[in-house]
Amino acid sequence: MGHSTPEWVYIGAVTAILIWVGAESWNIEHTLEYAPPNSETVRVVGQQWFWSFEHADGTQEINELHVKEGIPYRFEIVSNDVVHSFSVPDFAMLMDAVPGRVNTMWNVFDEPGEYLIECREYCGMLHQDMRARLFVEPNTDNATAVTSGSEPTISQGTGTATVIAPGGGEVGTTGSGTMRVVEPGNMTQTTANDSAAGNNATSGNGTSSGNASSTAAASGPTLSIPAGASTAGNPAYAPDTLTVKKGDVITVSNDDTAPHTVTNGASPGDADAGKLFDTSIIMPAATAQIDTATVDAGEHPFHCTVHPFMTGTLTVQ
Amino acid sequence: MVLELKKPRPIWEIIFSTHHTDIGLLYIIASMTALFAGGGLAMAIRAELFLPGIQIFSGQADFARFFTVHGTTLLFLWLIPFASGVGNYLIPIMVRYKDMAWPKLNAVAFWMIPPCMFLVWGGFSDTTWNAYPPYSILKAPGPAADMWIVGLKLLGLSSVLGAINFTVTILKMKHPDLPLMKMSLFAWATLATSLMIIVAIPTFAASLVMLYTDRLGVTGFFNPEMGGDPIAYQHLFWFTFHPEVYIFVLPAIGMMYEVIPTFSRKPLFSYYSGVVALIVISIIGFGSWAHHMFAVGMSFTEKTVFMVGTLAAVPSSAMHVFNFLATMWGGRIKFAAPMLFSVGAILLFFSAGAGGVVNTAMPLDFLTHDSYWVVGHFHLFVMGTISLAFTGFIYYLFPLITGRMYDTKLAKIHFVMTFVGIAVIFGIQHILGLYGLPRRVVDYLPIPELIIMNQIASFGGWAIGASYALFLYNMIKSAMFGKPANPKDPFELGTGVEYYYDYARREPHH
Ligand code: HEM
Ligand SMILES: [Cu+2]
Repeated sequence: MGHSTPEWVYIGAVTAILIWVGAESWNIEHTLEYAPPNSETVRVVGQQWFWSFEHADGTQEINELHVKEGIPYRFEIVSNDVVHSFSVPDFAMLMDAVPGRVNTMWNVFDEPGEYLIECREYCGMLHQDMRARLFVEPNTDNATAVTSGSEPTISQGTGTATVIAPGGGEVGTTGSGTMRVVEPGNMTQTTANDSAAGNNATSGNGTSSGNASSTAAASGPTLSIPAGASTAGNPAYAPDTLTVKKGDVITVSNDDTAPHTVTNGASPGDADAGKLFDTSIIMPAATAQIDTATVDAGEHPFHCTVHPFMTGTLTVQ
Repeated sequence: MVLELKKPRPIWEIIFSTHHTDIGLLYIIASMTALFAGGGLAMAIRAELFLPGIQIFSGQADFARFFTVHGTTLLFLWLIPFASGVGNYLIPIMVRYKDMAWPKLNAVAFWMIPPCMFLVWGGFSDTTWNAYPPYSILKAPGPAADMWIVGLKLLGLSSVLGAINFTVTILKMKHPDLPLMKMSLFAWATLATSLMIIVAIPTFAASLVMLYTDRLGVTGFFNPEMGGDPIAYQHLFWFTFHPEVYIFVLPAIGMMYEVIPTFSRKPLFSYYSGVVALIVISIIGFGSWAHHMFAVGMSFTEKTVFMVGTLAAVPSSAMHVFNFLATMWGGRIKFAAPMLFSVGAILLFFSAGAGGVVNTAMPLDFLTHDSYWVVGHFHLFVMGTISLAFTGFIYYLFPLITGRMYDTKLAKIHFVMTFVGIAVIFGIQHILGLYGLPRRVVDYLPIPELIIMNQIASFGGWAIGASYALFLYNMIKSAMFGKPANPKDPFELGTGVEYYYDYARREPHH
């Protein structure tokens, strides 16, 4: 009975390893904990089911984050609805986005490239799709080209969508694919609420629709997303069947308090979903346009990628 | 014999019985039902993840319902009731008392389990087994989430009643000639587990009530819109459920303390060290809960405290491993099924613990947290360690309960398939986690490495499923037609080996 020498030796060895692990972790975590004072702040907002980012100069991005190599960034992570978790696995970065809290984390990206951003906390129906991309750009000072004053256009996939800022803001394009940089003034409600100490945690989707001003000249056909559309069962699109002539530019206005999209396909799982037309995220009170010049004649079901139960049909003659 | 399928006792005699062996049997049968039902869901989950994209489920929401019910069923309807079942069966025999201290209360505790099985399966909630607010209070569809809450509430009550009964039976009804320090280590493990249940569960029981009233909208404990704090729930939840992992594992350790010396035909290396490790863990186990929450935005100090608390709990688990190995050292080991499963459990216990140390090393947790690494980590415990030890113990008790012998060849095939399957699926899930695959996703990026590893994992999972189908067949067939066991020495270990304690007393009432 009782401990014998080998057992004591063994426990000693185990304890020594544990102390070493603990001390090392403490050391490393200690440097990771405090952001250098010269870091640039990026605000990260998680909500069902996309990420949006706001840079210190007011630039906003959705589902894409552009940073520069070698600069310390401090991330302020908040959520507009449920708990999400902001994670960049390639840099071992991870921090929960918790409604009602502002969590911070910092990093210096040392390797230019494109990286995956994902949500690591189960957040509902489209949790698995809540991905974004991180672009670490080489540190030269000529990146983001913004043309001011001109009407912004972005091309996405094969369709074309135009985003018009409610306050007459502007959109520029750089980089590849669906990249989009939104200037200050756009999505103003989000910004205002968020910077009010992240206290805009709401059951719904955060932003209140203040000025639903639509600067788009509504000469063509219009499609509205009525208030309450994000609750399944409520009317999703008004009208939910829309007939236009090929070449018409449809103006989509989001009158709801949640972000929505108009994306072709009956559901996000469709093989060609988003290939014909896709507004991508339209923030509350913002508008977007769908140019049907590139859309084949025929009947095209569409849906909202954020709320796949929202569906409608577009007929192009 | 409690269960003789050839000469069955009337079913009502078992159902209305309050005798500890009957209640024990009911617990074991109910828990095994949950094992097979919950395991079936896992097979579907692995089928979905075999390929990227969405195949057999309609989407993330359905998938979430499956893994939520899978986890809830296996943790709360398999592990906990099985441990209570074996406890019911053996504790009164081990402490030499005629029954549990309160037989009627015992029956009541058992009969709360079928309704909560009904609630959990009837609702099929999608909240995940953690049910974090605000998702669970604002977005999770009812009545599923409400049924889940009520079901878990009942289960907690059942566990606490059972734990009180065990504590009183062990401490008060123990035969006066049996000193505490001579009591079997399984009884010690049950005592430690029961005390932990009594301390840990009420916290979660309270938070379930708060979750429910929050769902009704009358309170806002965890609703930030109403001034509540979702993180408060996480603290309450993990204050119960980190200790709960020891509540799961200690009965398994206790069972291994029965099996390993018996089949090594050698006395236990150190009884004293086993008792000390059990007592220490049941106290220190309460000091590490927030290691599940390193990423919720805790201060550096908090993180450090919980890392140290977690590391401090490791040596006592390591002591058990040492004790098992030192007992086997130089023994004349007979690798019958119970021993095979216990040895497999030791190996996986050790690997799982090593992975746990990685999780708790703060900077590394930001890599592994909520990735497939964590899925691999805790499955090495709940499946690789606990369920293996439990399965071995089912083989061990089989001759006692049925009076017949199981098919030993099938049992060995079962072990090999299960062990290989577990090592493959949960080993590779660690690597998947390092590749950044988040847990709880129905779909993943079509990257060749992720696809291949997920396919290997699925084959591992299906191997486990197939081997357990074999196990079920073996149990049913052998209970009816197996060759009668030699009640004195069913495993042919020879003389001088004592098992099953005072068996003559096992059927005083029928
Ligand atoms: C004794 C048996 C054990 C069981 C049954 C067990 C079970 C679990 C479970 C179920 C989880 C995941 C919970 C969830 O997020 O859903 C988990 C996570 C974790 N376990 Fe264990 N565990 C055990 C032992 C250990 C040990 C010995 C350590 C440390 C040395 C450890 C460290 C951790 C850590 C740090 C996490 C959090 C990982 C993360 O979420 O990032 N565990 N464990
Ligand atoms: Cu834990």
